[in-house]
Amino acid sequence: MLGNASYERDRCITGIRGLDEILRGGIPYGSATLVAGTCGSGKTTLGMEFLMNGAKSGEACAHFSATEPSVKLLENIRQYSFFDMTTVDRGLINVFDMDVLFSWLGLDKSTFNLDDIDAMVKAITDIVNTIGVTRLVIDSVTSLCYKIPNEQLIRDFLFKLGKSLSTLGCTTLLIAEITSVGGTAHRSAFGVEEAIADGIIVLGDVERMGNLLRYLQVVKMRGTDHSRAKYALEITRSGVMLTPMLKWGVSQ
Amino acid sequence: MSINFDSDDEDFYGDMGSIGSVKFDRILTGTPHNTGSIPRGFTLLGYGNTGAGIDLFAKQFVSVAEDPENTILISTSETTSEILSVYKKYDWPTEIRVRTMGEEYNREVLTKELEASKYRIEGFTLSDIQKLAQTRFVDQQSHDFLTDLTTQVTSLGPYFRAAIDSLDFFYSRFDASRVTSMLRIMQAHAQRNRGLLLLTVSGDAVEKSTERELMAICDIVMEFEVGMRGSDFDTRMVIRRFRNSPENLAFITFRVTPEEAITPETVERVA
Repeated sequence: MLGNASYERDRCITGIRGLDEILRGGIPYGSATLVAGTCGSGKTTLGMEFLMNGAKSGEACAHFSATEPSVKLLENIRQYSFFDMTTVDRGLINVFDMDVLFSWLGLDKSTFNLDDIDAMVKAITDIVNTIGVTRLVIDSVTSLCYKIPNEQLIRDFLFKLGKSLSTLGCTTLLIAEITSVGGTAHRSAFGVEEAIADGIIVLGDVERMGNLLRYLQVVKMRGTDHSRAKYALEITRSGVMLTPMLKWGVSQ
Repeated sequence: MSINFDSDDEDFYGDMGSIGSVKFDRILTGTPHNTGSIPRGFTLLGYGNTGAGIDLFAKQFVSVAEDPENTILISTSETTSEILSVYKKYDWPTEIRVRTMGEEYNREVLTKELEASKYRIEGFTLSDIQKLAQTRFVDQQSHDFLTDLTTQVTSLGPYFRAAIDSLDFFYSRFDASRVTSMLRIMQAHAQRNRGLLLLTVSGDAVEKSTERELMAICDIVMEFEVGMRGSDFDTRMVIRRFRNSPENLAFITFRVTPEEAITPETVERVA
């Protein structure tokens, strides 16, 4: 017998309409999932909605913002009806500015060495451990990797981070910026992020009958069956909504 | 913009200022009676080995203090009390302005580094994390000591006297071309205001190209050397450049006496 067919890993229910169905119940707890997408594809909104749904059920959540000031992020996200600002005030969603964290750690420099990477991983895991974070979003992991001088160090950083967070039972979305999602293109800026991550969700645009539509595709998710089809992603006032791509017809 | 010099000041200060020692002035001017040996407006550079007496020479240069309010010693390695004790020892005027940038740096930058080191080793406490989550902006008020130095020197009025001891501090923390560019501003200020500005730097603190630039900026370049002669230390100053007065180029051996601090002993003219 190769294994216990009835065993199923506990799931972190994302609460994002359509995504849990694609993942057959949610993201396996403690996974580090790469959410790779082009600009404007809905990565940040998806990440914040993931945290918000956790906070609504009383989970402690954290968001590390490296691409935009948290003030701006919160101003943009509070326009959505799914977002409740009191979760931030009550400490259920803890939003951290990465540049502030870097300043506190003496990491306000352009290039990180191994010690700096270790300090960053330790700080993030410290925060997760101390406040019992179960859902984490790092937006974006790409901008952190730009400070790391080579692929091996990027690999070390992501591996250590993923391992530490997994040990703490924290389900993590690592937002990654990519420029295109066509054909054989990488699903990450440096190519190594996708190899380290437990799961890969790709967000991009596809043209249908003259319209540019957003789509989401789960490329990989360790520990669960999942659909690998593309789903149309719509960003509504109440959050992200995924629907099967087929209803949009075939490409012209 | 031209500067109008007060005629009383012109009489009081004259065209030349003292280098900090009457005996040195006499050697440089070649006359027994003089009121100074350095043309006002000159920038001087003292460089050389550690322990050769450059730091004491900087204090001695400033001790002339024609106008203590317009005289400043900017030290990057000593504390105010250490400097004060030297001034008291030689009975030099203590009313001059003293700025200890090394102390300021330790207070501001090293405190921050120590705090960062604590976070890196010990991690964050819950209250640290709460504070971190509420901090939205990085404190950008970091002190630019190089700009501050330039502002300090260029705010001095006509006939000022200033010493910066030493440039090693700035060259080790800032881009060399930026330091040199700021020094050009200070040199121009000294020239326009008939001030006297002494810069010191260790021999190995800068690249050769930077050293050449520094020597080109300064009107007088003095190299301080220390060696052993038998069981005694042999200290000497080599005047390598003296703008418009090549006859002043010389090897001067000196000693430090309790009465006169740095005092010349023998002179060997180059030209």
